[in-house]
Amino acid sequence: MVTALITGIGGQDGVYLAQHLRDRGVEVWGLTRSGSLPPELSFVHATPSADIRNQQELEGAIAAAKPDEIYHLAAQSSVMASWDDPVGTGDITGLGTARLLEAVRRCAPSARVFVASSSEVFGEPDRSPQDETTPIRPASPYGAAKAYSHHLAHMYRRRHGLFVAVGILYNHESPRRPAAFVTRKIARGAVAIARGEQKELRLGNLEARRDWGYAGDYVRAMHLMLQQDEPSDYVIATGEAHTVRELCELAFARVGLDYRDYVRSDPALWRPAEPVPLVGDIGKARAELGWSPSMSFRQLVNLLIDAELGWASSLPVPQLGDLLMDVVISDERSG
Amino acid sequence: MPTALITGITGQDGSYLAEYLLDLGYRVVGVTRRTSTDTGSRIGHLRDRIELASADLLDQTSLLALVEQFQPDEVYNLAAQSFVPTSWEQPVLTGEFTALGVTRLLEAVRLAKPNARFYQASSSEMFGKVQAVPQNERTPFYPRSPYGVSKLYGHWITVNYRESYGLHASSGILFNHESPRRGLEFVTRKITYGVARIKHGIDRELRLGNLEARRDWGFAGDYVRAMHLMLQQDEPGDYVIATGETHSVREFCELAFGIVGLDWQDYVVVDPAFYRPAEVDLLVGDASHARRVLGWEPAVNFEELVRLMVEADLALVADEIARGVIRRETMVGVG
Repeated sequence: MVTALITGIGGQDGVYLAQHLRDRGVEVWGLTRSGSLPPELSFVHATPSADIRNQQELEGAIAAAKPDEIYHLAAQSSVMASWDDPVGTGDITGLGTARLLEAVRRCAPSARVFVASSSEVFGEPDRSPQDETTPIRPASPYGAAKAYSHHLAHMYRRRHGLFVAVGILYNHESPRRPAAFVTRKIARGAVAIARGEQKELRLGNLEARRDWGYAGDYVRAMHLMLQQDEPSDYVIATGEAHTVRELCELAFARVGLDYRDYVRSDPALWRPAEPVPLVGDIGKARAELGWSPSMSFRQLVNLLIDAELGWASSLPVPQLGDLLMDVVISDERSG
Repeated sequence: MPTALITGITGQDGSYLAEYLLDLGYRVVGVTRRTSTDTGSRIGHLRDRIELASADLLDQTSLLALVEQFQPDEVYNLAAQSFVPTSWEQPVLTGEFTALGVTRLLEAVRLAKPNARFYQASSSEMFGKVQAVPQNERTPFYPRSPYGVSKLYGHWITVNYRESYGLHASSGILFNHESPRRGLEFVTRKITYGVARIKHGIDRELRLGNLEARRDWGFAGDYVRAMHLMLQQDEPGDYVIATGETHSVREFCELAFGIVGLDWQDYVVVDPAFYRPAEVDLLVGDASHARRVLGWEPAVNFEELVRLMVEADLALVADEIARGVIRRETMVGVG
């Protein structure tokens, strides 16, 4: 039986990945700071509690799980929050990968490792779409930390011969996204307005374009990367860009409203350095992994709205007040 | 009288920069860490002209207190774990210090003295597997050591603080720069110190790695002038600082042995144990941007640099013999 260890298991991707691996007969271990897991992950084995900022605890967790596969998802995962805490972001999202890979090298050198990189490493790219050869030029503290993590993964692959695959993940959404992310903010706002609980929705730049996919699709790609003969880098995206405006249009239409009556663009919410369109070229993932996204943009927006309408009975959704630190803090919340 | 704060003041560049700024009339505050070994030999002669303050790049609070106390007009971040082979052995510590240390210091400046001008010591190691020859400020980076990865993070976070927080933060992408104050673990100093020991009859051979490795070597005294110039510009920016010429380790040996009247081929032994892993490709800098904007160019050429270093080491070894630090009779025959 294959054993997998997931860091950041309490976050959006961690939960989807744990379920995906379980369905494929993998024994799943989760690394958390508190040592306890949310009820929906009752099938997951918890390692002794470990903080991504503590090398020894990471080594202890790896020694306990004895994993064949390690999925490194733990991060301070919000670009916005990284402006408020660049040091903490660098420590968790950047140095966390150094500590993890060093722990793998010492305790489980034959394990296969997935490292979650991000389209944010491209910052303001000079070409579109971007692929695995696009120059890395991060434009936020989050992007810089992810770029550090991304490059360091290559060091362990080349110099130490570790099997380290890097997934350059574009935005991927789901009902499990925390409310501070724009997709969830819009879905939540549209439903609240439809219910008469809210009068308007204030957003940043409506013309901002993103390549938005479904998180459930992206975790499949992570697993596929570790089933290849050789580790490599893969852009995981949809290949389509949509504006925040389009997202609003679809979301409000789903609840029978016209977004133009409710959505306000508020300059105070604009990101300090708004990147130019990030759109991924998934040719390599398609050819080598046989991967492609299963969900269209419209289906994704519908899913977000539908979950919002009925979430209390079905999906465990993070609370509004928890906001930004979805992976790291979710561990604390569950404990 | 402007105040300059220098981290890494006990290093080669720190000591040259301190001298340079003192001569320009600056009040110079050097930041040192408490260590159990004496690291102050390079600034011994400056002790009565500079102030030393204790702070640590690993400790955010100490940096904030430092900037609050001294209210510097200029901050030069030269501190780093700067030896590439060590970065392979201690990637996490290298990341803490060389990467995240930059963010901690920038954050301290942003919070306590946001109008201070900031210099980040970036490195040609960031180019690694070079994507173009020669390299300029727009050449994509491709680091190949944990040191290069950490320096690259420091570079991006400096650019971030400039673009997003409006700090006057500049990044100097410095190619190799040498001097009699270079550490003995660096190849140039290893050669000139080795030549001096052979000339004085202490050693009979000099073991080196790849003699065909080529570098763009300048004189550290020239490079600190460029750092200062960057902070005198109206706008902050990125600058490649280099000579634009490369020379091989073999050429360096030829010149160095020639200066003391010896033939390098009688003494140099090639030892594969000294080959660097992931040897970088042809690193040669294009400093035309610095020449145009800063009016900077190197004053000391390659031959003068080698001579300067050999003569300094001849005097050093003579002094070590005179003080009984090394003795001829015990050393001869050992090598």
